[in-house]
Amino acid sequence: MTDTTVDASSLPAEKPGFLTPFNIITSIILAGGAVILGIRFTQGLEATTNLSHNYPWGIWIGFDVMSGVALAAGGFVISTAVYVFGMKEYKPVVRAALLTGFLGYFLVVLGLLADLGRPWRLPYAFTKSAGPTSPLFEVALCVSLYLTVLFIESTPAALEWLGLKRWRKVVGSMTLALTIFGLILSTMHQSTLGAMFMSVPTKLHPLWYSPHIPVHYFVSAVAAGMAMVIVEGMFSHRAYHHQVDISRQHFENINFGLAKGASVTLGVYLAIKIVALALEDEWHYLASGWGAWYLFEIIGFFLVPCLLFAVGYRERKLVLVRTAAVITVLGIVLNRFNATFIVFNYQLPASQRYVPSWMEVWVTVAFITFAVVVFRWIANRMPIMYEHPDWRGQH
Amino acid sequence: MSISRRGFIGGAVGAALTAGVSEAGTTRKFEGYPGRYGLLHDTTLCVGCRSCEVACKEVNGLPPVEAPVDDPGIFDTVRRTSDTALTVVNKYIEAGGDQQAVYRKIQCMHCNEPCCATVCLVHAFEKTPEGPVLYHPELCMGCRYCITACPYNALAYEYDNPLTPKVMRCTMCYDRIKEGLVPGCADACPMGAITFGKREELLEVARERIRKYPDRYINHVFGEHEFGGTSWLVLAGEEFGKLGLEEGLTSEPLPSIATSYLGVVPLVLTIYPGLLLGMRAFSKRQEEVAKQEQEEAVAQTLEAAGEETPKKLATAAERAAKDKERAVAAAVKKALAEAGEGADS
Amino acid sequence: MHTLFDFLTHTKAIGYIVAFGLLLAYIPFWKFLTEREREE
Repeated sequence: MTDTTVDASSLPAEKPGFLTPFNIITSIILAGGAVILGIRFTQGLEATTNLSHNYPWGIWIGFDVMSGVALAAGGFVISTAVYVFGMKEYKPVVRAALLTGFLGYFLVVLGLLADLGRPWRLPYAFTKSAGPTSPLFEVALCVSLYLTVLFIESTPAALEWLGLKRWRKVVGSMTLALTIFGLILSTMHQSTLGAMFMSVPTKLHPLWYSPHIPVHYFVSAVAAGMAMVIVEGMFSHRAYHHQVDISRQHFENINFGLAKGASVTLGVYLAIKIVALALEDEWHYLASGWGAWYLFEIIGFFLVPCLLFAVGYRERKLVLVRTAAVITVLGIVLNRFNATFIVFNYQLPASQRYVPSWMEVWVTVAFITFAVVVFRWIANRMPIMYEHPDWRGQH
Repeated sequence: MSISRRGFIGGAVGAALTAGVSEAGTTRKFEGYPGRYGLLHDTTLCVGCRSCEVACKEVNGLPPVEAPVDDPGIFDTVRRTSDTALTVVNKYIEAGGDQQAVYRKIQCMHCNEPCCATVCLVHAFEKTPEGPVLYHPELCMGCRYCITACPYNALAYEYDNPLTPKVMRCTMCYDRIKEGLVPGCADACPMGAITFGKREELLEVARERIRKYPDRYINHVFGEHEFGGTSWLVLAGEEFGKLGLEEGLTSEPLPSIATSYLGVVPLVLTIYPGLLLGMRAFSKRQEEVAKQEQEEAVAQTLEAAGEETPKKLATAAERAAKDKERAVAAAVKKALAEAGEGADS
Repeated sequence: MHTLFDFLTHTKAIGYIVAFGLLLAYIPFWKFLTEREREE
């Protein structure tokens, strides 16, 4: 993110042309993604992905869907804290968190459209032939409903921007109901994403498989959501510093509060992972090769950020908090990748394993870029980082 | 492997969230359609001629086998089913000395309680009363969860088909069964290693063979109970673990493990609203109490201060004046000192 | 461990012990986390 283009919105007099470095790179990434998707829908998944009969799910599911949903959890975490538990000090970040959440779920849908064999049949689950026995049915139902909830929760900024006061009031009056409904839907599908792996007890390594996996997914998603709000603030607070109407101190305190929450959440996650080992008597696996990989994930990407968050909160060190947040985000992605394709089918020889093709990676990067572009477009115009003067102090 | 234990625990899905709501907690057992068909594969009779592969491709209209059927090189790698090969024969144990080579044919096992059907969000799979598990491509959206979920790695996908890809798997020759014919592979097997019939009768046949030739067979019919049982039954003279089949699988149907958590979902929907509104009321009440206490404290202080206020104001004003004087004096002093320093340097 | 009952006896017992140990470990963690906060 370069500051030049961002500043341009606030200083229209000096508006540079379209050819800023950011715009050029973005255009290349998006155009490349469009070309690859063109190939995918004319020559098939085989031409673009490294998916196989043994690995039907790759990074389009592992990142865009599994990780995307977890990283978008910030929306429901922050809105619940503010509107249900009355933690008003987090109100300045609630809009950015909800917008990030909305774009995260939008990314999920984009990923699915690329990955599904026949994406135009996505509504079939609700319109033609429902399969309520499937965890994926529950996920699809919740994600589509939650995407709608997040959309409505994100509209106040747009309605204020457009000056539609009556509609803004209507949406404002629904805040509490939407927040609670959003929390319900999030609890349901964040955990059910984990439950999707309960059907593969023989394929997923015992260290990752657990009857408690839905709970693991939910708790880690809460930590991921908080970490993602910190990471998102890291970029947007610098880029939009001229918009932000809270003091530097207040902003840092929000980060420290999130750090404390994330530290405790990660601590809980570590604890329930250890309990899972005990309940299935899986200690002996820790000495194996997969055990080393497990320890690498659990120590390097969950214990380390847990402690970094704790020290960062205690010593009021923003650098540590941000480092921990970045590690947590990477850790969640690694954890979801493990379940989806790294530790999945762990008995198979190395030659049959899945490694994403460059085209799959490119498309995923293009989707993320697209989300960043939309975020910037909205944040440059609408009251996301600050409170609209007409609506100060209201829902 | 501790699959059986994990399966049991998975079924009970103990602890915290899911206690007591697991579907596996049901005390009823589903027996399945009576008189359904199955196939018995006796690996001790299989010689790896791959006639079944050839027949399968013919019957299903798939491209014929690439290498010559009798090319021994094909057994150098362990193959799996694909979108163009719904069944393949692998060699699992090399011949040598007394040991005969051991082959096994792999294909969809047609589970009694198919997990592919359970995890399909558009209900594109069906367990027919005749036994075969059927797939309906006209409903499939291509999420490939069925392929992920299959414990026997038997399902494949047409990745090279851009617009109308399908899941490809053995159909147990459903159409032939309906016509009163035997499935293609069983019909083609020259060794009698594949027997078609009613599943119950095939189990009897299998047990009879084990009883008659206890030295020839492992005393276990794979598929009788594994994950709730399968239509394909396998007899072997070697441990099933060596033949690419997982040993010690739980008899609990995989669908009951896979869906045990879903019972919690309606609970979240019903418990959360009340719980959260209660919490919100609680946090609001706390705020109100805090506000009220603060107001009372202020009122009390004001009341107490009431009588002495004029006096206090006077002293305060006096003190302020003095402070101001002192501050001015200090500022003058500082300025002088700085001026002095400036002159010095 | 020959029966499911043996296995459950073992793992449930260990489960309680581990969970209780983790509960105790939470006390120093919480103290460390909030020490400065309480000083302020």
